[in-house]
Amino acid sequence: MEKIQNIYKVLANERLSQQYWRLVFDAPDLSREVKPGQFVHIRTDERGLQPFFRRPFSVYRAQKYVEIFYDVIGPGTRLLMSKKKGDTLDVLGPLGTPFVMPPAETRQVVMVAGGIGIAPMLILSDVLKMKKYELLLLYGGRDRGHVYPMKEFKDNGVKVHIATDDGSVGAKGRVSVLFDKIDKGPSPVFIYTCGPNPMMKAVQAFASEKGLAGQAACEEIMACGLGACLGCSIETAGGFKTVCYDGPCFDLDEVKFH
Amino acid sequence: MNISVKIAGITFKNPVTVASGTFGHAERYYNLEEVKRLGAIVPKTVTLQAQVGNPPVRIFETPSGMINAIGIENPGIDVFLEKKLPALRKIGVPLIVSILGHDDEQFAAIIEKLNAQTGIAAVELNLSCPNLRQKILVAQDPAATMRLVGKIKKLSKFPVIAKLSPNVTDIAVIAQAAEEGGADAVSLINTFTAMAIDIKSRRSRIGNFTGGLSGPAIRPIAVYMVQRVASLVKIPVIGMGGIMTASDALEFLVAGATMVAVGTANFVNPRAPVDVLEGIESFMKENKISDIREIIGSLKK
Repeated sequence: MEKIQNIYKVLANERLSQQYWRLVFDAPDLSREVKPGQFVHIRTDERGLQPFFRRPFSVYRAQKYVEIFYDVIGPGTRLLMSKKKGDTLDVLGPLGTPFVMPPAETRQVVMVAGGIGIAPMLILSDVLKMKKYELLLLYGGRDRGHVYPMKEFKDNGVKVHIATDDGSVGAKGRVSVLFDKIDKGPSPVFIYTCGPNPMMKAVQAFASEKGLAGQAACEEIMACGLGACLGCSIETAGGFKTVCYDGPCFDLDEVKFH
Repeated sequence: MNISVKIAGITFKNPVTVASGTFGHAERYYNLEEVKRLGAIVPKTVTLQAQVGNPPVRIFETPSGMINAIGIENPGIDVFLEKKLPALRKIGVPLIVSILGHDDEQFAAIIEKLNAQTGIAAVELNLSCPNLRQKILVAQDPAATMRLVGKIKKLSKFPVIAKLSPNVTDIAVIAQAAEEGGADAVSLINTFTAMAIDIKSRRSRIGNFTGGLSGPAIRPIAVYMVQRVASLVKIPVIGMGGIMTASDALEFLVAGATMVAVGTANFVNPRAPVDVLEGIESFMKENKISDIREIIGSLKK
């Protein structure tokens, strides 16, 4: 890719549920290069300083266009929400270390996502659907507002199971109530997870107990997104590592979740 | 049009550099043709032994700025010299190596290792990192600053730049002490000690408890400090503190800085140093200024 920093045109920005939005932009070079688990770093206030940092977003899908999936939680995502078709977007990317692909002998691939952590899973299923794995998505959301139809996952042949904290959609409780959907073996299972740290910690404990390997996509407040400032470091078995450069995708057993 | 500047007998082809700790992985992410255009490069501060840095959370976003407490995470001088220096040298831009010792002996040991190297333009002594939990920084004590700079100056075959802290009553006193110790230049300012609190948990937002504030929020104070120091010392001043654009950088030059360093802006706009350089050039063209020296220290009173 020629340059890491580019200005792209917004094509669509739409609400998927009460909570979640999807923004689509036209970035053919980025779309060709990005791998599942990588992210883009967007300057939501292009001319100003409020907010000061860029905001990192996992790429949700990269086909003809690049799509990100976001939750409106603060000043950065509020500005993003106001973007309209034809507006410009100052984007750094693709950044970070992508997911590793499952070992060849894998039969079932399980994606465990909480809330906005579903973002990297669609692009992952776009790639994995070519490879004849059984694909399972276990999704946990707070309530109905955190759930949307997930048609794209179903179109990819992903079996979707949902749990909500209040039971308004799917099973009632945390996503861990869905762990019984995971193959008991002996056929090999590979896990991908992304979401709040307590959820990923539970996934890690489950995987460790069952002897399953996997990957976790982590999130941390970031400044540069390029591995330069060392601000987004997290604790891993191998010492402090940057989420933006060494991650965001790590081996599931490597991360020390707090 | 001349935009070259001189510090300690070294000619820098333009006055734009980067602040230490803000410009990593140049080889992977930056357009090297653009990096080559800068006046100098300053990599992240290196210590004698490797340091793992401070526990997370290490950064926090603030209005027009940020608080950081990275804790000088670095691989140590030996790994730096073996693994990083060759690539940095290859860029072909004068290299200012920022170093930090936790005592005089460590500073001296680092200098000894640097003396065995070539392709280094100058050494910057980081006397002012606020995130290492010392009681007092060297750059908060004029006598300590003068003594340490004097000692290093005797040992170093490279010109010595002292990086100063704004966390003092009068930064000019420290700058004068550095000058008296023999510093070839001073660079200022490092970050302001700062804190942000999560009111829900009633804990500091920063794992290290306190951090250093940088970014445009501190720029007007930095401009003032640079102006004050430049008016009171004879050695050149490298000015920094929240520079985002060419007009920000020009303020520092007018205030008396011979060079300017782009720091935190790199985290928001990786192209900021080149944008600043191009903006200075077009400002000079538009105003028919043929030599950058007509700008440096041109503040009217």
